[in-house]
Amino acid sequence: MSADLVNRFCAMGCAVATSGDFRTPAAGVLESWEEAFSLFRAESELSRVNASPSRVLHVSQLFSSTLEIALDVAAETDGLVDPTLCGRWTEIVVSAQLLSRPPGLALDLNGVVKALAVDEAAAALDGPGFVSVGGDLAVRGPVDVALPVGGAIRVVAGGLATSGTASRGAHLVNTATGLPSESPWEQVTASGATCLAADVAAKTGFLLGTDGPGWLDERGIPGRFVALDGEVVENPAWAFATEVEQPCM
Amino acid sequence: MPVSLPTGTLVAMKGSSRIELARGRARSAKTAIGVLTAVVFGVAFVGAKVHAPGHTKGKAKSLGAPSSFERAVKRSIAQGGQIAPAVQPPPVSSSTS
Repeated sequence: MSADLVNRFCAMGCAVATSGDFRTPAAGVLESWEEAFSLFRAESELSRVNASPSRVLHVSQLFSSTLEIALDVAAETDGLVDPTLCGRWTEIVVSAQLLSRPPGLALDLNGVVKALAVDEAAAALDGPGFVSVGGDLAVRGPVDVALPVGGAIRVVAGGLATSGTASRGAHLVNTATGLPSESPWEQVTASGATCLAADVAAKTGFLLGTDGPGWLDERGIPGRFVALDGEVVENPAWAFATEVEQPCM
Repeated sequence: MPVSLPTGTLVAMKGSSRIELARGRARSAKTAIGVLTAVVFGVAFVGAKVHAPGHTKGKAKSLGAPSSFERAVKRSIAQGGQIAPAVQPPPVSSSTS
């Protein structure tokens, strides 16, 4: 994949890079997700849900399935990646297109929306290539990717995502305390079967602190951790996958 | 002076009553046939709706991602991807946004 064939533009408040000469269909896919889930658009469905005083609401099929995925992610990560940001995700019930939640309990689906949009945009590519939004990417076919603080790997299949404080400061919240997370890591990069899986793994690895590398390794997820002092730690799954075979002497 | 009825009047009245009875039986038969037709149609309609493969049995639902796709996404939440050593200059980078 040559750098000459990369198309760059802005969407979802991030820098977007896609393979190929044209924005579409990736731009259209990203715009449709932003239209539904942006917290910065008063008319988005998520903003309207958060503004509603009702306990039970009728929501769109896309909203319903996205929230179900967000709740699955919260369950899988023991609430570390939580759509309520305050540990109250168990109070949310979604059934078909009906949402029930305590009035006033706001939702923030950014933990999954960007990655799901990247996966859908990559699936919409005409052929081999990639879609990257804010450094989280999904590939169709092998793509080489530069890593934080140097180095590169080849993403053969699935996605790659990086979470941390390097760009936006301490924006990842510890849902147990409601305060910004104090992690020994500055950036965590993880490889997943999808961009969503990679993003969830990177966030969880970051929030778990020193337990992060082990948590990812137990699940066979390659993870690369950049400490606050710049030291790079690779979990065994990452090290094994990126090990360069030495020629036999 | 005794009143005498015209010859054949009782016979005519008796004949009129038989016609009315016949008309009543015909009316009842028509009603029964109508009710039976409606019942047969209703039973056939419901039967076709429930059993014929070409008829929808459930309430129509809006289009969305197939449940198999949603299950695949959920299964892959904690599943690693495939990576390998890089072999050429990378066209894109992974970083925090």
